Amino acid sequence: MNQTQLLQGTLDLLVLRILELGPNHGWGISSRLQQMSQERLKTSQGSLYPALHRLEMRGEVKSEMTASENNRRARVYTITRAGRKRLNKETETWQEFALSMRRILGERG
Amino acid sequence: MIARFKASLRGLLARRRIDAEILDELQDHLEREIEAHRLRGVPLEEARRLAVRDLGGLAQTIESTRDVRATWFDTFWRDLKYGARLLRRSPRFTITALTVLVLGIGSTTAIFSVAYAVLVRPLPYPEADRLMFVAEHQGSGIAWPNFDDWRQRAQSFDGFASSLADAVFVTGGPLPQRLDSRSVTVNFFGVLGATPFRGRLFDQSDARPDAVSTAVVSHTFSMQQFGSASAATGQTVSLNRRSYTVIGVLPPGFRYMTPAHVYLLLEPQVAANYRGMQSRGNRTGLYAVGRLKPRVDVTSARAEMQNLAAALALEYPETNKGTGVYVVPLADRVVRDMAATLTVLAGAVALLLLIACVNLASLLLNRSASRAHEFAVRAAIGGSRWSLIRQLLVEHALLVATGGVLGAVAGAAILSGLIRVAPPDTPRLDEIRLDFVVLSCATLFSCACAFLFGVLPALKASGAGGHETVLRSGRGSTRQNSLLRRSLLIGEVAIATVLLCGSGLMVQTIIRLSRVDPGFEPHNLQTVMFSLAGPAWPDPKKQAFFAEVVERLRGLPGVDNAAITYSLPILGSNWWNWFTIAGRPVPPGATMMDLPSAGMVPVSATYFETLKIPLIKGRSFERTDTPDSQPVAIINASLVKLYFPGEDPIGKQIRLAGSRPTEGYGPWRTIVGIVGDVKQHGIDQDMPQQIFMPVVQQTRTTVFAVARTRGTISSSAIETAIRDLDRSVPVFNDRTVEQVMKEAGSRRRVAAIVLSVFAGAAVLLAAIGLYGIVAQSVSERRQEIGVRMALGAPQDQILRLFLRHGLIVVVIGIGAGIAGAVAAGQSLASLVFGVTVTDPVTLGTVAALLTTVTLLACYIPARSATRLDPVAALRSE
Repeated sequence: MNQTQLLQGTLDLLVLRILELGPNHGWGISSRLQQMSQERLKTSQGSLYPALHRLEMRGEVKSEMTASENNRRARVYTITRAGRKRLNKETETWQEFALSMRRILGERG
Repeated sequence: MIARFKASLRGLLARRRIDAEILDELQDHLEREIEAHRLRGVPLEEARRLAVRDLGGLAQTIESTRDVRATWFDTFWRDLKYGARLLRRSPRFTITALTVLVLGIGSTTAIFSVAYAVLVRPLPYPEADRLMFVAEHQGSGIAWPNFDDWRQRAQSFDGFASSLADAVFVTGGPLPQRLDSRSVTVNFFGVLGATPFRGRLFDQSDARPDAVSTAVVSHTFSMQQFGSASAATGQTVSLNRRSYTVIGVLPPGFRYMTPAHVYLLLEPQVAANYRGMQSRGNRTGLYAVGRLKPRVDVTSARAEMQNLAAALALEYPETNKGTGVYVVPLADRVVRDMAATLTVLAGAVALLLLIACVNLASLLLNRSASRAHEFAVRAAIGGSRWSLIRQLLVEHALLVATGGVLGAVAGAAILSGLIRVAPPDTPRLDEIRLDFVVLSCATLFSCACAFLFGVLPALKASGAGGHETVLRSGRGSTRQNSLLRRSLLIGEVAIATVLLCGSGLMVQTIIRLSRVDPGFEPHNLQTVMFSLAGPAWPDPKKQAFFAEVVERLRGLPGVDNAAITYSLPILGSNWWNWFTIAGRPVPPGATMMDLPSAGMVPVSATYFETLKIPLIKGRSFERTDTPDSQPVAIINASLVKLYFPGEDPIGKQIRLAGSRPTEGYGPWRTIVGIVGDVKQHGIDQDMPQQIFMPVVQQTRTTVFAVARTRGTISSSAIETAIRDLDRSVPVFNDRTVEQVMKEAGSRRRVAAIVLSVFAGAAVLLAAIGLYGIVAQSVSERRQEIGVRMALGAPQDQILRLFLRHGLIVVVIGIGAGIAGAVAAGQSLASLVFGVTVTDPVTLGTVAALLTTVTLLACYIPARSATRLDPVAALRSE
């Protein structure tokens, strides 16, 4: 399988994208990440949690401790308005960037 | 922004809860992950392993997640707690390091605070750097007419004033009280830029001949005399039996050169020709102060003044030829000879701080060497470099900050001790405060030292060669470190040598000074001054009173003899005059400077007996020397040597000179005796030529009464005895001649004490350092010693092996130190007496002493190496 190391700074964007679809907990985000990229993107789960907490410190997601099934406590993250704003802005930037890259690289093939 | 603030606030308040939540969250993640693996049929054990692996380790993830949450305060607090725990766990290191820091910071702060207050801090006048002190050549007092001419002609100054230190008697109270005063020109306060606290200062109207006599008083005087500062203005005070109107009060703490409580105008005194001030040949204690115009500097002002003085010397050759002018910034004049002492002390204390830092460095190097292992391990298991640096910084900052606080306390204690032993005439003593800037500098210096020697080596250990250190299991110091430590120790020994040489020179100075024969017997001499001023005391009445005082004092129990004198040995000559010798005509065109001169001392007949000054030839003064008998004089041996070499002066006649070389003052006096020389100007000064005359033939107003006592008598007995004769006579300055001598020597004593204490501390620190380095080397090479001993190496060979370490340090250190001491000796030149600053005996003794002490410090641990049990030593790994 052709796995790609996640580019620096893109994890935040992916997490926000997943949370845009609905509130989720850490493991859920991690597995959605793998599904959505068709297992092609390899992220260290270890770096996910610091990223989530960082997003919360920046006010782009908010979280709540909930009692989940089996009497476990889980933290559920929800995207905030600031999060959506950043997602929109950075998605646009990314697409422009990707388009430019394809234009340049595409000329070879 | 607000969300972020809230989050960090929450983080601060609920750190524990957040830790628990992170743990819950991650556990939830792991369980879900394990479940997911299990669903795919992975066995439980394997599923757990994979889950933890993918998370990147539970502990690390908790740590890095928490770090996101952590505010700087959390991190700092954690590092602080950890640092404190580490320091508590190694009390020997902590206590030694703190002692070194407290000693270094405390003493540096105290001494530099003094140096700063006395030498550096600007004088308390506006734009004080523009104020110049002006005197006649070599800093002697100015003749008023010269001052007057300078004031009119000088272009360099915006204002040019003069003043002289004086004393007044506050009369009108139950007992006359003597107060320090200053007589000043009208513009004096204006030139200084002083402003009144209440009322006004002098102006031209006060100097008019018909003006009422006015006075400006100090804040203290106003409080004491009138109860408040505002109550003083408009009041009348009786000074020297004349009444003065107080026109203003100076701000608290106002001071010019010497403290004064009453300021009177100089111009009326000049108009009345008081002290003969109108005479150009009469150089009194008058000194000028000028405020430089903008864009005029010291050099050009000095050049202008020199031209003026040269012009005056041409105009008035009789009095002014060969004289010059002396112009220095006022601040330089204020500190004068105190500068030398303070520079020495500051130098000594800087050296001590340097030693303290070297010791601290050595301690830290040692510690970081023994902790290299810890750092390497932490780095290997993924502790980030930054977190290591942070931890170390916090730890050392904690150490230095504690040292700084304790050092400030120690500094305050040392400072109050210093102020207590300081010479009472130390300029600006009352302005000395513990200086915050100095304290911060000393602390910062220690910080830099801690960083350089504590943090950097540890960083190196945690860096590139880290794994090597782990493998070496961090035993002992690296070779580089020990080279550095050895160089530091050489520096320490060298500094100790410099300090010890300084202290040796000062101790020798004090011993030699105590052995100086002052020419009289200084023990058991009690003295007071009294003054018979005013029209109530015509000369015959004064003379009668002097005789009464002598009789009264001689009658006191415990008093063997008593005398009256105008000048007291050690305290200096109160009267220096030119004179002519009969039969040696003054050549035409001669100036005052060409005449012989001497200290003039009117004394009672009992003076030489009382002070036990030996009569060399002729006779002493007798009761038969009266105002009406033949005028006589007694001269001292120095004067004979200077002006009567190879002659018998007895029977020759001399006469004081007036304001011109050809003008005589008073009668011709016949020399009737020769007495021994005394240390009139201080125990460390040359013996001046002197002419004594009977006080009944040359009356003075303010004199010393001096009594030769048997053992000690009540210090006020003499004062009371004189007061009992006449309640209106002001009696003051009650002290013993020994006290006077002690005060005069206090500057050197302080230097000797401080240098000795510092030298002791430095030697001790150097010895500890040497002991440490040899002991460490012994413990590092235990195995090697074991092998050598097992192979039959004799004990003294092993001893030599380790002594060699110390010996190199000692030899290089002492050599460098002696060279440094010779170079630094110049700063002691003005303080030493009877020895040269390169005195070979002192240098040799210091070298021998230091060699003994330091070799002993090496010998003790080296000897322990020879006592090792070879078997135990071999097993010591």
